Amino acid sequence: MSDILTVDGLNKSYGKFSLTDVTFSLPEGCITGFIGINGAGKTTTLRTLLGLSNKLSGNIRFFGLDMDKNERAIKDRIGVVLDDGCFYEELSLSEMKSIIAAAYTSWSEKDFKRYMDVFSLDPKQKINTLSKGMRMKYALALALSHNAELLIMDEPTSGLDPMIRSQLLKTLTEYMENDGKGVFFSTHITSDLDKIADMLIMIDNGQIVFQEEKDTLLDTYRIVKGDVRSLTDDIRRLFLNLSETAFGFTGITKQVSEVRSYIPDVIVERPTIEDIMLGNIGGER
Amino acid sequence: MMLFSLIKKDFLIAKKYVLLMLILAVVIPLFMLWQLPEFAGILGFMLSAIFASFMLLQYVYQKEYQFSKAAALLCAAPFSRKTMVLSKYIFFIVIYMICCLIFWIETLFIYGLRTSNLRLFALTFLATSVFISVYLPVQYKLGYDRAKFAFIAVFMASPITLSLLLKTETLNLNFLSMISPYPVFGIVLISFFVLAISTYISMRIYDKTDL
Repeated sequence: MSDILTVDGLNKSYGKFSLTDVTFSLPEGCITGFIGINGAGKTTTLRTLLGLSNKLSGNIRFFGLDMDKNERAIKDRIGVVLDDGCFYEELSLSEMKSIIAAAYTSWSEKDFKRYMDVFSLDPKQKINTLSKGMRMKYALALALSHNAELLIMDEPTSGLDPMIRSQLLKTLTEYMENDGKGVFFSTHITSDLDKIADMLIMIDNGQIVFQEEKDTLLDTYRIVKGDVRSLTDDIRRLFLNLSETAFGFTGITKQVSEVRSYIPDVIVERPTIEDIMLGNIGGER
Repeated sequence: MMLFSLIKKDFLIAKKYVLLMLILAVVIPLFMLWQLPEFAGILGFMLSAIFASFMLLQYVYQKEYQFSKAAALLCAAPFSRKTMVLSKYIFFIVIYMICCLIFWIETLFIYGLRTSNLRLFALTFLATSVFISVYLPVQYKLGYDRAKFAFIAVFMASPITLSLLLKTETLNLNFLSMISPYPVFGIVLISFFVLAISTYISMRIYDKTDL
């Protein structure tokens, strides 16, 4: 499986915030979730990848091509959904489409019409009359109508109701049925990733915390619950994050067998992605 | 194709204003004919061309500022930043050509405006190009909000300055005859040269802007 995107040593300063030595890669044929809390650097990373913000240093390669030298050719092969759409709100859907469509060499009017029908969107409707969910569907219709090989989305499910989120995730799954495609989307709503992601990359404070296959990640971490009186300093060190009350402790660990060797009667549970994310940044469940 | 699409985009986002500007381009020469018949042809056309170009571009930038994230979507698509900047200059040239066309049609029907010729169009193009060549890089550097105040102050002061100059008889429209030895082609060439330098500066500024 070849990499559809490789990012190596990406650095970027943005006021007081900075991306530091961001390095990761996206394998072809995977839906990759880019997770992190608000302000972790997800949007800044995506914007820098897309050339919307200038980087200080680092190497970005899409489809094996250097972004600095092949920006136009690369962007022709990428579909982009930005947070809240980023449209000229006073235009109609049809007018906005006519502007965007001209940029792509492989624009498919047939695909666009199909997505507009599937999402029940009226081309004559003004963008500023669309709900947040409809706006996201429209953004997705634009992003998927030029045979994009990689779909990059910034917080696509944020603020959407469960029905629309489900429809959006279904569309992504259908898109991935074609070979050679990839999806990279940032989110802090990790429940969506539980459903569809193959790979997870976590960022915190501008630095990559981990890149791992979702199933491997879920198998690696465990939530452990037990009696607080059993805890010693040595055991505490085995946890990434530990919350203690008078009734007991709850912690997340990658070393469940060691914990069990010290405290055999602990309760062990499979974590969610959110548990793992919060465990890695020291947040509480 | 991409350039055409971006120019179309500017007309689309300013469409409410385009008609108004076309009306003003018709009315300003007529107003000048009524107020200053002596200079109606020259000043009427110059003012209408500068006014229409500036106000339409200003309105486009207002909309770009209002929907500032839209530029990010265009840039995330294969539109290059250079093409996005270039489209604004071509947009100006298109507006100018429309002003020329409107004025030329007016001259066919109104005798008092028949001072127009290719040289007037070329000289006005030079003047407007110089103005736009300062305006656009400042717009890219300062952004709409800060640039607006600076330019509106200059623009609002211009009629007062003009009338004062006219009253004190220091306004010398003989500059037309000063440049007249130069061929029309040369004047247009200088205009494009000025615009090209300005385009380059704007591209450099916009290239470093975080969208």
